[in-house]
Amino acid sequence: MALLVIDDLAKTYDKVTALTGINLSVEAGEFVTLLGPSGSGKTTLLMSLAGFTTPSNGTISLDGKDITHVDPEDRNFGFVFQGYALFPHLTVANNIAFSLRVRKWEKARIAARVTEMLSLVGLDNLAERKPRELSGGQQQRVAIARALAFGPRILLLDEPLSALDRMLRETMQKELKRLHRETGVTFVYVTHDQEEAIAMSDRIAVFNHGRIVEIGPPRDLYKKPSTRFVAGFLGENNFLSGHRADDDQTKVEAFGTRFGFPLAKDGERPGDSLTVWVRPEDIRIGQATGDEIGFRATVVENSFVGALERILLKATTGEQMVATLRSEAAVAAVPGQIIDCRIDPSAIGVLPNEVQRS
Amino acid sequence: MKPRRIIEVGLPRLLAWCLLGFLFVPILVVIPVALTDRDYLSLPRDGISMQHFAALADWSKGWLPSMLTSAGIALACAAIATALGVAFAVGAWAAGGWWPSLMRILLLSPMIVPPIIYAVGMVKLWARLSLLDSYTGVVLVHVVLALPLTVLAIGASLSNLDQRLVQAARSLGARPMTVFGKVILPNIVPGVAAGALLAFVASWDEITVTLFITGRAVVTLPRRIWTSIQDAVDPALAAIATVLLVITVLALIARALIEHRQQQRKF
Repeated sequence: MALLVIDDLAKTYDKVTALTGINLSVEAGEFVTLLGPSGSGKTTLLMSLAGFTTPSNGTISLDGKDITHVDPEDRNFGFVFQGYALFPHLTVANNIAFSLRVRKWEKARIAARVTEMLSLVGLDNLAERKPRELSGGQQQRVAIARALAFGPRILLLDEPLSALDRMLRETMQKELKRLHRETGVTFVYVTHDQEEAIAMSDRIAVFNHGRIVEIGPPRDLYKKPSTRFVAGFLGENNFLSGHRADDDQTKVEAFGTRFGFPLAKDGERPGDSLTVWVRPEDIRIGQATGDEIGFRATVVENSFVGALERILLKATTGEQMVATLRSEAAVAAVPGQIIDCRIDPSAIGVLPNEVQRS
Repeated sequence: MKPRRIIEVGLPRLLAWCLLGFLFVPILVVIPVALTDRDYLSLPRDGISMQHFAALADWSKGWLPSMLTSAGIALACAAIATALGVAFAVGAWAAGGWWPSLMRILLLSPMIVPPIIYAVGMVKLWARLSLLDSYTGVVLVHVVLALPLTVLAIGASLSNLDQRLVQAARSLGARPMTVFGKVILPNIVPGVAAGALLAFVASWDEITVTLFITGRAVVTLPRRIWTSIQDAVDPALAAIATVLLVITVLALIARALIEHRQQQRKF
């Protein structure tokens, strides 16, 4: 049975709906990320899990026991806050020991655990410092050590890396993955940064407008998104309009090409308009071979972004799309030039056009 | 260049010194007056004398008892006003929303309503509750007057405190009283101390309302001074002013020293 089960959870503030119909199960030891733009409800869900927010509807259960209305102090969940929220009047060691003193551990046991936690996060020699004497990255480590010290059932993390600069953020991502592996604690991680989510999670729950749009492993969500929102939110994507061919139900027509694609939804009819997506890294330059889809496009712009070249293309039928190519493959992409492009049909996705929701 | 320099630098400097003189000379003048060898308010003529300081120590003259009365009332007032101030300020800080703001305005009203109007009201009320001329009555009134000061001082230090510290402590297993004692209180000690000091001082020199609600039984120091001015201007007044001045200066020096030590510990 799953460790944590969220069943039909909802939260309404006055007349504003922050969350609706949230169903999510988290297995013991899993790293689950709640990903979404700001105001999508992911933080509200995390706060409900921690017990700081009371849901308007639905239940949260841990090991099959309903904990929806259990006080935060009785849940035994660690929480890492955005901006850390370290106790400014206590030293690093006393910050970490706080939960142990509250639990009335013996002195020797507390000292041993504090030492253990300090070496786990690599801060052995900073035990007697005050939080204000530490750098952002060090404060972050203290916050994690503090939240893990008492052996929480689940560690909840609220955008813990958003205050750090890019380099440090990448180091801390690896650190968090290592801590997750070494401690075996279940992580529920909130972020709006899709790269972070993809790099760290076992599964991602993508939030939008207070709902979970899709749940799945990062690879599945990236390769086979079933909604336009997820296709656009995870990684960069090109969206092109197309339609089901009038004469052949197995074919889709878009940007002047025609390729086979199974029905995107039941009851699809010939001529129905569709959204076709293709990742920038899947567009290549050159004559199509075999069953590759070939098309011609004008190079509008070519920018160097380090390892890759970013090329803005305009298909002869008018659609614009971005392709990312290794520099040597992009030699032919001179602005103004008309070039042959090819795409492996398995890299293309087709989605039914969604009914616009305001 | 020279005349311009005089206007730009010299003149402001002169004004600053004049202002400081205006502030301090009237205060400092009490020191020689306290040392006068005569028995009316004057500067010493034939040499200095400690007789007026001796009079302060004389129990039967009434200065010492009134000082003790004032100190007792001010301590009680500071303790109660600080406790209530902490309770309100922390509660309002943790709860948030519109009603704490409304309550704060109500609490600050004693600062806005002129004391004389408040005094008239209190006389009526205390007469009905037979609290006139009682220690309890004076302490209660002083608490009401001091409460805005403690709430403001404590509220100011709370406003710098991260609200999420409460959530952090609770997620770590602390119950509300532990959160208060181990997390909130240690972080607002400077504000609590400042509030207590302000409450003490507010009670120590409160005269307007005290005059209305006390008679013979409760004689605070300001009331004793007031009475002494009415019949004869006693140089003991200058002596007591000197004593208070010395205490104040010592307190300021102590505070500066403590602050200096804390600054050094930080770095």
